[in-house]
Amino acid sequence: MALFLAGGVAGTMGALLGLGGGVFLVPLLVLVFDVPMRVAVGISLTTVIATSSVATSATLGRSLINLRLGMVLEVATTAGGLTGGLVAVLLSPATLQRAFGVVTAFAALVMLGRLQRRNVMLDPAADPGWLGGRYHEDESGTTVTYRVKRLPLALAVSFAAGSVSSLLGLGGGILKVPALNAWCGVPLRAAAATSAFMIGVTATAGAVIYYGRGEIVPWMAAAAILGVMVGSRAGFHAGARLRAMWLKLLLALILVSVSVLMFARAS
Amino acid sequence: VNGARDVRLERWLGRVLSVGVAVSTVLLGAGLALALAGAAPGTSARLLRIGLIALMATPVARVVISVVEYGSKRDWAFVALTATVLGMLMMSFVIS
Repeated sequence: MALFLAGGVAGTMGALLGLGGGVFLVPLLVLVFDVPMRVAVGISLTTVIATSSVATSATLGRSLINLRLGMVLEVATTAGGLTGGLVAVLLSPATLQRAFGVVTAFAALVMLGRLQRRNVMLDPAADPGWLGGRYHEDESGTTVTYRVKRLPLALAVSFAAGSVSSLLGLGGGILKVPALNAWCGVPLRAAAATSAFMIGVTATAGAVIYYGRGEIVPWMAAAAILGVMVGSRAGFHAGARLRAMWLKLLLALILVSVSVLMFARAS
Repeated sequence: VNGARDVRLERWLGRVLSVGVAVSTVLLGAGLALALAGAAPGTSARLLRIGLIALMATPVARVVISVVEYGSKRDWAFVALTATVLGMLMMSFVIS
């Protein structure tokens, strides 16, 4: 029951912000349920798949998901996922957690610096370019257009996101969403939807490896996944109503907490 | 191709993901209920295992459909990209 609730919270936050929700679930499982780190990571990866499938099937058809951008970046995240799985044994957990703390703190600062800035062009005739997109935005009531900038940077961040995904049991959205929004010109909602679309594939690469090693406890995973199924629907509905600025604030807040938590655990 | 939307692909992906979510939810829910009730331990373990596999197979199916759809549109750049992703997913199966 408690696992189901934990999954529910993780799923809500995950769907709201395009994260896998693993950022909440892994610390919860380790600190509250006293589950070994590797088991927590395996369970978390399966819930990331659930969040991704639910969130994606709910947002498809509203053109928020940039399919082509997602498929380009997926090459990098999946490669990162495999690499992360292979180098995991070479690095100490404390080193990983500190590195993760630094990255999330930096991402939080970047998000906070951009609260009032928007990536969208309100002119419906604007050219979105090769990988850009346009979608109907409820907040301004118009169709907005955006272009993708600095694709190589987006690819590099996606690769990094993929590696931390299989190492720490995250979807990797926590890195991709801020980077796509702050540096690559993608509006927050589109960045979150596209990230949610990608994390299912990234997490599958990792989850399969953990499953094969027998490190996923089926009944625990099932309870958490069912929670995520419910929570991610709630998060999706809330996300459509909240203003982009509040979403950015929430994301920054979560990034700061995760950063502090990671440093605390590393020392 | 500028800003082109893949309408048919979106529709297919939506269907596959919904079916995958529904199937794995039912299997995992039934398996968990049986496990909690302490009845038929063999069946509940099997249901949970198949449920997890269905969950992990859903994103793989999504990538397979993307490869096929871009192939039917002769959009070779995206066929190559999605096929690469599929190849890497297969590698993770082999590794495990």
